[in-house]
Amino acid sequence: MDLSGRFGARSGDGVPFREAAALESLHIGGGEEFRQMVPPENAGGFTALLELPPTQAVELLHSSSSSASQATTLHSLGTLSFPSNPLLMERASRFSVIATDNQQNGNVSGETTTTSSVPSNEHIKTEPAETETCDQAAVEKQSNRCGKRKELDKKVKSSTKKKNKSSEENEKLPYVHVRARRGQATDSHSLAERARREKINARMKLLQELVPGCDKIQGTALVLDEIINHVQSLQRQVEMLSMRLASVNPRIDFNLDTILASENGSLMDGSFNGATMQLAWPLQVMETEQSYHHRQLQQPPSQQWPFDGLNQPVWGREENQDHGNDHNNLMVGSTSLHPNQVKMEL
Amino acid sequence: MASAYNPIYTDVPEKDVFALHFLQTLSNLRTQNSFSSPDNKTSDRVKKIKKAAYVSMARAAGGANRLWSRSLLHQAAKRNNKNVRFLRRKRRVTWLMRRRSNRGDPIEDVAAERLRNLVPGGGGMETSKLMEETAHYIKCLSMQVKVMQCLVDGLSPK
Repeated sequence: MDLSGRFGARSGDGVPFREAAALESLHIGGGEEFRQMVPPENAGGFTALLELPPTQAVELLHSSSSSASQATTLHSLGTLSFPSNPLLMERASRFSVIATDNQQNGNVSGETTTTSSVPSNEHIKTEPAETETCDQAAVEKQSNRCGKRKELDKKVKSSTKKKNKSSEENEKLPYVHVRARRGQATDSHSLAERARREKINARMKLLQELVPGCDKIQGTALVLDEIINHVQSLQRQVEMLSMRLASVNPRIDFNLDTILASENGSLMDGSFNGATMQLAWPLQVMETEQSYHHRQLQQPPSQQWPFDGLNQPVWGREENQDHGNDHNNLMVGSTSLHPNQVKMEL
Repeated sequence: MASAYNPIYTDVPEKDVFALHFLQTLSNLRTQNSFSSPDNKTSDRVKKIKKAAYVSMARAAGGANRLWSRSLLHQAAKRNNKNVRFLRRKRRVTWLMRRRSNRGDPIEDVAAERLRNLVPGGGGMETSKLMEETAHYIKCLSMQVKVMQCLVDGLSPK
C-alpha cells in the first residue's frame, strides 16, 4: 500500500532515488525469494518468467520518473514476456511428457491428450494473466508473483513426488496428487473439486463404452439418461425371462425317480425331444460332448446316471457331484439326435 | 481388453460361472416342495425365479466384493429372515461414504439420484463410486440375461 503511494507520488516528485529505493527493496526482496525458488525448480516454464521481472525492475530503476514511461515499461514488460509463453508451454509440455514416461502404456494416450489440451489452456490463460499484470501497479504484480509462487510450489511438489501419475490413477493412492494448471485457482477446494470432476468424467467415459450407442451422444445429461434406460431395460429383460422360465418349467418332468426308473424309449421321447436345445456354450464343451455322445451310442442308455461320473473330467467342474443328483443337468441325450446338439433335461 | 491396464477395476467372470450359479440356485429351488406342485400360482414362481436369478448373479459376480452384490444378498437374506454378516474389507471407505459430497451440477445430481434408485446399494455411495458400480452391474446384468436367454431357448418347444 505504501508502495503504491510511493509510485503515485513519483510522478509528482520526480525524484528518482525514492522510487529507486522502493523499487530496489521490491526487487531485492522479490529477487532473493525468486532466486531461492529458481534452482530447485526444474519443472515448468516459470524460470523464463521469473527471470524477467528482476531484469524489468532493474530497467524500471533506470527509467525516467514519469508515470507514462512507467506505464509503457510495464506494458513493454507485458509484451516482452509474451515470447516466453511458447517457451513456457514447451517446457510444460515437456514436463508432462516426461511424467508420462513413468506411467504404464495404457495411460499414455490419456496423458498426451491432456498435454495437448494443457498448452492451449495455458496459452489462453497466460495472456489475460499478463495483461492483468500490465494494467495494475507493482503491488499487484508482487501479489501475482506470490500467487504464481503458490502454483509453482504445487507444481514442484507434484513433480518431485515419485508417482507422476494422472489424477485418474490416483484413486489407488491414499493422497490425490493433482497438478495445478497455470492460471487456474489453487485453493484446496477447487483442486478437490477438479479432481472429483475428472474422476467422474473418467467413469463416464467407461460407461459410455459399455452402453451401446452412447458415444455419439454429446452432453452428460443425455448420456446418463441413456445409461439409466439401459439398466432399466436389462432389469426388465431379466423379469421377462424369469417369467418365461417359470412358464416353461412345469412342462418337464422333474422327478428323479421317474428318470432313473424309466427305460430309454418312453422317457426319451416324452421329454427329451421336446427339450433339445442348442446352447451357445464355449466350443470346447461342445466338442467334448460330441465325444460323450459317441461313447453313449455304444453303451446302453440305461446307464445314464453313471455317465455323470464320466461327466466330471469333461466339464472339469467340481460342482457336478451336486448335479449328479439334481434334476437339471446338462446331459447328452438319445441316439436320435444330431451329434452337435446338446440335450438338456430339467 | 483384459490385458489393458485399467485403474477402474470392472472385470466380470465368464458366462459359465453365471450359468453355474444360476442352475445351482434353480435346482435348490426345485427341491423345495412348494415349487413343483402344480397348484402353485404362477406369480409366486415367477418371483422366486427372479429372486433366484438376482441372487445367483450377485454370487457369481464376486459375492461380497462388490457393493451392489453385497446389498442384494443382504436384501435377499433379510426376506428369508436369515442373519447374514459380511466382513468389511476396507474400513476407511466408510468415511468417504458418509461424506457424500454431492456438490455437483444439478444435471448429474438428478441422474445420479435415479441411478441410485436403480442400482442396489446405491444409497450411500459417492457419485464416482456409484458409476463404477453401475458399470460392473451392467456387465453382470447383460451376462445374466444371456445365460437366461440360452436356457429359455433350449427349454422352449420348437
